[in-house]
Amino acid sequence: MVRAIRGVLIECEPAIKSIIVHLDSINHDFIIEDLDDHHLVVKENMVQILKQKLEDRLRETYRPEEPLADSD
Amino acid sequence: MPPKRKAPPVGAQAPAPKAGRTSAMSTSGPATPRSLDDSNLSDADEDLDDDIPEEQKKKEDLLSKEADEFVRKFSAIKRGLNKQDDAERLRHYDAATPYFKKKDFSYLPLKPDHYNRPLWIDPNTQTIVLERFNPLSEQATDFLITIAEPRSRPTFLHEYVMTTHSLYAAVSVGLRPKDIINTLDRFLKTPLPASTREYIETCTKSYGKVKLVLKNNKYYVESVDAQMLQILLNDPVIGKLRVQGTDTTSSAPKMGGLVIPGTQNAAGVRQANLVDGPVAEKKPGDQDAAAANEADLFANLNEEDDDDDKENVHAFEIADSSVETVQKRCLDIGYPMLEEYDFRNDDINPNLEIDLRPNTQIRPYQEKSLSKMFGNGRAKSGIIVLPCGAGKTLVGITAACTIKKGVIVLCTSSMSVVQWRQEFLKWSNINPDDIAIFTAESKNRFQGSTGIIVTTYSMVTNSRERSHDSKKMMDFLRGREWGLMLLDEVHVVPAEMFRRVISSIKSHAKLGLTATLLREDDRISHLNFLIGPKLYEANWMELSQQGHIAKVQCAEVWCPMPTEFYDEYLRANARMKRTLYAMNPRKFQACQYLINYHEARGDKIIVFSDELYSLKQYALKLKKVFIYGGTSQAERMQVLENFQHNPEVNTLFLSKIGDTSLDLPEATCLIQISSHFGSRRQEAQRLGRILRAKRRNDEGFNAFFYSLVSKDTQEMYYSSKRQAFLVDQGYAFKVITHLANIEQTPDLAFSTPQEVRELLQRTLVDNEKGAEEDVETDDLFGRTGRKKKAGALSGVRRTAGMLSELSGGQDMAYIEQNKAANRALKQQGAGGGKSSKAAAMAEKSSFFKKIEREKEKSRAAARAARQ
Repeated sequence: MVRAIRGVLIECEPAIKSIIVHLDSINHDFIIEDLDDHHLVVKENMVQILKQKLEDRLRETYRPEEPLADSD
Repeated sequence: MPPKRKAPPVGAQAPAPKAGRTSAMSTSGPATPRSLDDSNLSDADEDLDDDIPEEQKKKEDLLSKEADEFVRKFSAIKRGLNKQDDAERLRHYDAATPYFKKKDFSYLPLKPDHYNRPLWIDPNTQTIVLERFNPLSEQATDFLITIAEPRSRPTFLHEYVMTTHSLYAAVSVGLRPKDIINTLDRFLKTPLPASTREYIETCTKSYGKVKLVLKNNKYYVESVDAQMLQILLNDPVIGKLRVQGTDTTSSAPKMGGLVIPGTQNAAGVRQANLVDGPVAEKKPGDQDAAAANEADLFANLNEEDDDDDKENVHAFEIADSSVETVQKRCLDIGYPMLEEYDFRNDDINPNLEIDLRPNTQIRPYQEKSLSKMFGNGRAKSGIIVLPCGAGKTLVGITAACTIKKGVIVLCTSSMSVVQWRQEFLKWSNINPDDIAIFTAESKNRFQGSTGIIVTTYSMVTNSRERSHDSKKMMDFLRGREWGLMLLDEVHVVPAEMFRRVISSIKSHAKLGLTATLLREDDRISHLNFLIGPKLYEANWMELSQQGHIAKVQCAEVWCPMPTEFYDEYLRANARMKRTLYAMNPRKFQACQYLINYHEARGDKIIVFSDELYSLKQYALKLKKVFIYGGTSQAERMQVLENFQHNPEVNTLFLSKIGDTSLDLPEATCLIQISSHFGSRRQEAQRLGRILRAKRRNDEGFNAFFYSLVSKDTQEMYYSSKRQAFLVDQGYAFKVITHLANIEQTPDLAFSTPQEVRELLQRTLVDNEKGAEEDVETDDLFGRTGRKKKAGALSGVRRTAGMLSELSGGQDMAYIEQNKAANRALKQQGAGGGKSSKAAAMAEKSSFFKKIEREKEKSRAAARAARQ
């Protein structure tokens, strides 16, 4: 019996791919197939959630918490 | 603790509310001496807060809270002012209004000839925008510099903000609110908004009206407005403190008589013996007055200045002991006191034989800054901001030559102490005996009745038990009255340290010097109260156009992270993240490429890395010399010497110890691999390393500043934050996403995926235990590493040093200290047997002696490691 999952092909930069893989590594509920550095297939129903999480993550990167008040 | 008589005008008691250990750590920046190795050697480079009595700490805490409140009160004034414009704003409502929200100023009508006028204003924040391309911008700049603080000065539009401090400074150079309002109105494209007018009036009303003057060693409260003094005298607190029968009315001195040495006027005066060359006439704005009415305006201003001087001054005396109370009280009732030093009429303190050498010419901007300080013939306390390499030292020296009284110079490290002394000897004709140094190593005094003392902040603030000599020296410093206190690099020193300096040493005037008057915390505002207002801030772009500092091309190079690195980066903790983005192999390649490129052009390159691990890896892999905190003194000297003179050594890797106080005029290119988070100051200080490039006046010469950034990491965010200060100074950062032909670099490092993976593995393994921290030492030239090296001696070596060092004379400083007496005793006890052994050793052959010695050393090294 063949099982089919609806998927979405995502094309992105390697860095973004890395983040997605990282997000996936927690529950393995996003990625269906990891194709190459620029391409991924993810589950269609998870795309929205993935987008949300990705955005959060990127915001973290661009506005990290400041560890310094003024250390010198 | 002696009474704080000479505290600055307003909110004098304003240290930062940091106390205890943290503040000690916060002073450990590169420019502040605090070395692990020589804590035994000097009684200065020590943790400063451990030994402060509890009582004092509490007091400082309290005072700092007070100061904070005071600063807050000022911001509050600002907010309350905006209401009256609101009604007006509502009248002008159209379809576009909502998009501008609070920033809709269309209710301010443009004047008919608005295109001839260079200024815009935001009445909410008192921000003034200046059109640089307007023909009147020169005059407007001169005016704005006086009344407002520059925020941002890129090529075409400059932004200035009027703050209470800046208006205070304006008043302190003799401008009156009326003048400010009239001139501003003339330059504005729109009528002056009512709220701005009121803001200027409120801020200036209370400022500068009352002056605290030290005359003949007595404190006088002085004012041109007799009514003002009546208000003060009727005050229940101040009235009581007045010394009876001391009211005087005298004519204020004319400013004409004073000529700052080193200026062209000074030369003229010397020749013609003409004493009445008004300083004000030297304003460059007058000379090239393009528009006649603007020239009139300035003449007006100057005339009015002169009028000021002819007015009578009224004064009453207050007792020395009550100065602080009076100052505080004046603050409370809203009439903060200005402090000025009438040094020409001071015949109590002996004059110092000092003058600039006849061939010394100070530059126009230095002159401008000093004329702010000596605006009315008296010395005002304050801060002068000049970029690195623009001759801050000479400004300080000229100020000293103008005042001609005892001077105390405070710097951040023992190396700059020596430099300051040398500069004094170089630029002025002072007798070398009259200028003395007070550091851990040398405690000289000048011979005559007055002179100059150069010392460090830590020497004078250290309140721990001192050696006998330095204690005597401190008593000497405390017991005198100084004409001028020069504070070098004021931005690095925390406010509470200043409080201690100011409370222990009495000086008539204080001059702070710095390149980057900013801190990531907001403590700078405290300096306004502790030292005085910002007197002058130079425009970096202007100076580089005039060739005083080098022109710099800034670029940010984006280096993508290879997938392996980025995967690891996402998983890593904060510490490891920093290592990973510094070790990014693409960054490495970019660095290699840039070094090759610039070496081929004949540039001398400095590479900065905060991350010690990557610093070493880069330097070793690229086979370049490097210096970090742990590099021994002799090695540093050798490396620097080579970098300066050896044509084979063109690239130098530096850790953060090289950020400040390093003078390498050969360097023309700077590459930054990793940096201290978002510190704007570090970025500016590092840029400062190449601003004095020797070749700066060659035709078409450009210095280069590259910042390498790993893409998609936190570094991107920090980097944009770091650049903020330089961008405000008018520098533009070019973003380079791809370096052309980087693949064709010969021997390009980490070009295969195999090598990249190996690098990653090695980085991870090496940093597992937590990376080695950079040892921060005094400064680049500080004494370090002597102990560490002891274990590793082998074969013949050649070092630079003194004979006393070889004979152990240098280390004798241990004995002078009584601090570690307990430990020393213990060690003596434990080593009781050893000394008898040593006696026996005298009989042994030299071979056995050597073995014995070596054993001793390794034992000592092990002991040191354990501690």
